[in-house]
Amino acid sequence: MIHSLPPGTIMIVGGLLIPLIWRNAQSAMALILTIGSLAMFLLTPSGEYGQIELFGQSLVLVRIDSLSRIFGIIFHIAAIVSAIYALHLKDAKQHVAGMVYAGGAIGACCAGDLITLFFFWELTAISSVFLVWASNTERSYRSGIRYLLIQVGSGVLLLSGAIVRYVETGSIRFDLLVEPGASMSIGTLLIFLAFGIKCAFPLLHNWLQDAYPEATVTGAVFLSAFTTKLAIYSLARGFAGTESLIWIGCAMTLFPILFAVIENDLRRVLAYSLNNQLGFMVVGIGIGTELAINGAAAHAFCHILYKALLFMSMGAVLYRVGTVKATELGGLYKSMPWTTVFCMIGAGSIAGFPLLSGFISKSMIITAAAEEHMLLVWIVLLIASAGVMEHSGIKIPFFAFFSHDSGKRPKEAPWNMLLAMGIAAAFCVGLGIGYPWLYKLLPWQAGYEPYTWPHVVTQLQLLLFAALAFVVLMLSGLYPAELRKINLDTDWIYRRLLPRMVGRIGQWIRQVDALVRQTVMRGLKALLEYLGDRFSERGILGGTWTTGVMAVWATILLCLCLLLNYL
Amino acid sequence: MNEQEKVETSEAPQGWFYQPANIRLLIIGLVVACLAAVGAQFLYTDDHPHFDVEKWYGFQAGFGFAAFVVVVMLGKILRIFVARPEDYYDS
Repeated sequence: MIHSLPPGTIMIVGGLLIPLIWRNAQSAMALILTIGSLAMFLLTPSGEYGQIELFGQSLVLVRIDSLSRIFGIIFHIAAIVSAIYALHLKDAKQHVAGMVYAGGAIGACCAGDLITLFFFWELTAISSVFLVWASNTERSYRSGIRYLLIQVGSGVLLLSGAIVRYVETGSIRFDLLVEPGASMSIGTLLIFLAFGIKCAFPLLHNWLQDAYPEATVTGAVFLSAFTTKLAIYSLARGFAGTESLIWIGCAMTLFPILFAVIENDLRRVLAYSLNNQLGFMVVGIGIGTELAINGAAAHAFCHILYKALLFMSMGAVLYRVGTVKATELGGLYKSMPWTTVFCMIGAGSIAGFPLLSGFISKSMIITAAAEEHMLLVWIVLLIASAGVMEHSGIKIPFFAFFSHDSGKRPKEAPWNMLLAMGIAAAFCVGLGIGYPWLYKLLPWQAGYEPYTWPHVVTQLQLLLFAALAFVVLMLSGLYPAELRKINLDTDWIYRRLLPRMVGRIGQWIRQVDALVRQTVMRGLKALLEYLGDRFSERGILGGTWTTGVMAVWATILLCLCLLLNYL
Repeated sequence: MNEQEKVETSEAPQGWFYQPANIRLLIIGLVVACLAAVGAQFLYTDDHPHFDVEKWYGFQAGFGFAAFVVVVMLGKILRIFVARPEDYYDS
């Protein structure tokens, strides 16, 4: 019976009860919920549970297999780390939102059918927006609205796709939705788009860079873990081997790095970096071989931890300094040494240095591309790897903690933030060294050894020479200076272009409306004047006639009547 | 943010990472590491290269350097088109 409850239910239900308990115990309660939920999840054996009939369809509330298991575990770890990071927080709203959001994501990755997936999909959308709104600024409010519209829109597409697919196939089960090489039906395409929005596909991506940097210090850590990785899980489940994903993923790895180079807000740099990392996973899902799917799952696992670590370190800076703009920072290593070290471990992990987690996961995807002899994809992933080294490996720690000394000497992060960062950093190192533990969790038993001489040496060459290029560019003054600017992205279309177009169209409509009204009013006026003339005292119809004329006309009419009578 | 403490500031840009001699030391260390990474390729033979370019000595070294420079330069060009004042959307 207890297995029939979707994993994460404890966090969702318990999270909703958090406001009822003592304020100082709320954050601890959130942490207990995450740990309890993990224990329950680990005790639930693989299988399908909670089958219920609804409108003649069988819903499978819980389906745990190897793919659900690895995502469920990492989602729980992320929830625990995020809850520790938020222990100092006395804001019930954020604790509730964080628990419901994380619980919803865990429920979603264990959903056996598309309707259950839709329910949790929307739950994550609606709960997570409160983590953006909790910043309590006009900017975060507007950003949250845009985020919510796009996320809920993704859910609507998912539901529409599920319904159309039911009509097409008679099934709502959530398994592989399209065979590799086959074309997509309309229902499947709608679902693909829904996943694509949540996964921040190119041109559908900008909600990510728009909303995440506006979230609260702790909210951004939650946000970095769940939404997009839920989409990765969903793609791996439903679209493994779909070739178009390879090229979509390649584009995702490349374009965000250019924006990351010139972005001033370091949490926005991390959002672009997140987008780029998702690209690696999407490429792996598109390749679809056992090694590639393993690589995507392993990379999602490692990525959640080092990305959360990076968001935590920047969150700590924001918490202490009040800004994460590169132009305002620098030299913070002096007063925030622990945060600096943890940030650098996260940066080293995302860049893929040997002995750290990114190395043992990203390399699986790159090797999978090489094994399929996809030279162009391989080259793109190498360029993207150099790009990661730029924006996350170097830019984030360098501009925050080193670079020019801003003179700011903030206090070190609070103990709970350091603890959370320490745990995430320990995972980054632990996974880099103890990778066989992670590999055992992967969906496929694929023999892969990351620590071979060629691999370690060539990876070090790539990263060290990229670092050397940074030094050369800095010394020569060619490296672009950080500027107090924002950069336009696709959100410009719906934040500026569309409102302006709508405004202009509204103006045209108003002008045409005014012209039509004027013309009609003129016509009416002319008609009324005409009628007024005719019916006035002097008009032919309204004027008074003399008795004589009346008598003549009456005589004529009577004569006519007589004539008609005799005819 | 409401949470931040009053941030103390210090004008003196002092510290290990700001001493020119130490910066030079770090750069020399990086160059040595780079050379070691290229040199290490002579210590083994890759029996299973997937592409011909993998057989070139120092391919990923040169590639990493060039890709980094190209990415940064393209970013600079992109900035010309997309950079706007911070209050662009607020106005």
